[in-house]
Amino acid sequence: MAVSQATRAPRRPRRPRGPLAPYAFAGAAALYLVLFAGVPILKGVQLSVTDTQLINPNGGSSVGLDNYAALVGDEVFLRSVVTTIVYAFCTVAGSLLLGTVSAVVLNRAFPGRFLARAVAVMPWAVPTVAVVMVFRWIFNNDNGVANAGLSALGIGARGWLTDPSYGMPSVLVATVWKVTPFVMLVVLAALQAVPEELYEAARVDGAGMYSTFTTIVLPHLMPTLRIVGLLMTIWSFRRFEIIWLLTGGGPAGVTSTIVISVYEQAFGNSRLGFAAAIGVLGLLLSLAVTLVYFVIETRTERKNRVAA
Amino acid sequence: MPTITFNGISKSFGANTVIKEFTAQVPDKDFLVLLGPSGCGKSTMLRMIAGLTEITAGELRFDDRVVNDLSPKKRDIAFVFQSYALYPHMKVRANIAFPLVMDNHRWWHHLPVVGALARRAVLKRPDVAEKVDAVAAMLELTDYLDRRPRALSGGQRQRVALARSLIRDPAVYLLDEPLSNLDAKLRAQMRAAISALHARVRKTFVYVTHDQVEAMTMGTRIIVLNDGVVQQYGTPKEIYDRPANVFVATFIGSPPMNVFVAEATGDGLRVGDRLIPASREVAGRVAARGEAVIRMGVRAEKVTIHPADADVENAIEARVVNVEHLGAETVVGFTLRRDEGAGVVGAAATSGLFSARLAGEVPLSADTPCRVGFDLDTVTWFDHASGRRVEL
Repeated sequence: MAVSQATRAPRRPRRPRGPLAPYAFAGAAALYLVLFAGVPILKGVQLSVTDTQLINPNGGSSVGLDNYAALVGDEVFLRSVVTTIVYAFCTVAGSLLLGTVSAVVLNRAFPGRFLARAVAVMPWAVPTVAVVMVFRWIFNNDNGVANAGLSALGIGARGWLTDPSYGMPSVLVATVWKVTPFVMLVVLAALQAVPEELYEAARVDGAGMYSTFTTIVLPHLMPTLRIVGLLMTIWSFRRFEIIWLLTGGGPAGVTSTIVISVYEQAFGNSRLGFAAAIGVLGLLLSLAVTLVYFVIETRTERKNRVAA
Repeated sequence: MPTITFNGISKSFGANTVIKEFTAQVPDKDFLVLLGPSGCGKSTMLRMIAGLTEITAGELRFDDRVVNDLSPKKRDIAFVFQSYALYPHMKVRANIAFPLVMDNHRWWHHLPVVGALARRAVLKRPDVAEKVDAVAAMLELTDYLDRRPRALSGGQRQRVALARSLIRDPAVYLLDEPLSNLDAKLRAQMRAAISALHARVRKTFVYVTHDQVEAMTMGTRIIVLNDGVVQQYGTPKEIYDRPANVFVATFIGSPPMNVFVAEATGDGLRVGDRLIPASREVAGRVAARGEAVIRMGVRAEKVTIHPADADVENAIEARVVNVEHLGAETVVGFTLRRDEGAGVVGAAATSGLFSARLAGEVPLSADTPCRVGFDLDTVTWFDHASGRRVEL
């Protein structure tokens, strides 16, 4: 730490700029956000209080909060919220666990490590549609490898994408397989920031491999895992392709998350205004998670500051 | 409380040998300093003692026990890292107590949450807390126990690292350049603190440094290493007074020992084209070795400088190149070359530059002629070809 401070180049003398320069830089980004995120969100909110139909997108009339009132009592909607939360929780937990474990394994020196790393990130690099095609084939009832393997083992075939009790697990397997490499890459980068001496100090202090991980490496990874957890949660709330292409929300609606409902209401039932209301509620869910993250983050920071 | 025995220890990384055949014995409770320039293998040596680096060949023994294959923990050592290697997310108290927490490790500490609570409970146990408090008090860290390392200054971090090594009361303390990240004043303080610590705990210390002042002031024994080869093993006094070869002679001492190339002739010893007066008898002894050329080592404080016209015994003509006034003493750089003009800088200016350390203020100015004298009886002689010390 001291070294980096000592070797830091002396700051270049600051050229006098107009007082507006910083606002111009920040303004460009702000303008982008307003145009491509703010306006659509506002438009969505505006849509959500109308009865707009798909066939006549500009002809809706205001219905006040009727859409929301209908949603609060709608069992299908409430089920989709629960489905979304279950889906997000399992995806995040599974990918964080698997991603961290594989990062730790791939962080150790062994022959062929670079090849192993390259292979491990492939699911992330493959287009989602291709991933889904592969999993549809794996989960195929009659000639998929999952059933072929299980039958051969005498366990018997399952209706992976057709039996309501297996719909969610199948979608989860495909999702976790697809998104874990992202967690692995980020954790791998964080692991490389752990100084070698810390491992050695722990060895001298008598910590075993597992104790070293839990007491020294894991605390180092926590900030990274928190932010990755937040991102993965929000991404899970909005994930559409994998579910839609794999099960289309079925079987019997068990994998119908909020975004699937939005799509179905908007383009299946042509109820644009109603779909927008679902979308707004989904946005609130993401905001709630983000809020929880920032509360945790500020509390950790305050704890650290008190100790500092 | 072991005697450390190195029995033909060597270390190679692939085809690259960094330590060649090292044999020595360090008595119990000694303060051994491994001294040498960067890249000489001294840190590798320390890490081999610690068990952090594998020993390629040879045998390392603590008393009669061969420890080659023992883990660092089983060797009962403490290691202070150059970068301190404090655990950044733990408070000072937890950092210091970490070895004790690991001593009290049970299998169920591996469980999440339960393990964290159990470790916290160990921290709060009266016997552990008492030990931490005692060590913290000894190193004046009591006020900082609830801080995290990054909120500490360099010197405080250094003391936390020392405290963590002290807590388990190990048999051997291994310190890897622990003071190199501190400023000069703090370094002098910590030198004294570590020496006092050694006197207090009365355990074997092995200390790696490239700083000869640290080596001379703290060590009871010094191993001088260069290119993975042990140059000399002895007490600081032996190493200073009787350097084994030219490398040791010029590495130890500030300014380093002057080494002149001298030639024995019928009239006496010649350095370059200058004849040293009254050296006929010494020249005879040099010639008796069967080789006329020899290297002559003279400590800077044994050199005297006189005005150019003074009539002094054993003095030869020279030219003052620079004068450094240090208050209590003056270091005078001189050369034996005649053509040494002003304006020479860089390596050319320091090659062939010798130095004299004189007490008090000396009225000399740069680029003036002078006469340089030394006592032939205090000269250390080195073989010209091998650089090894020889007795005349």
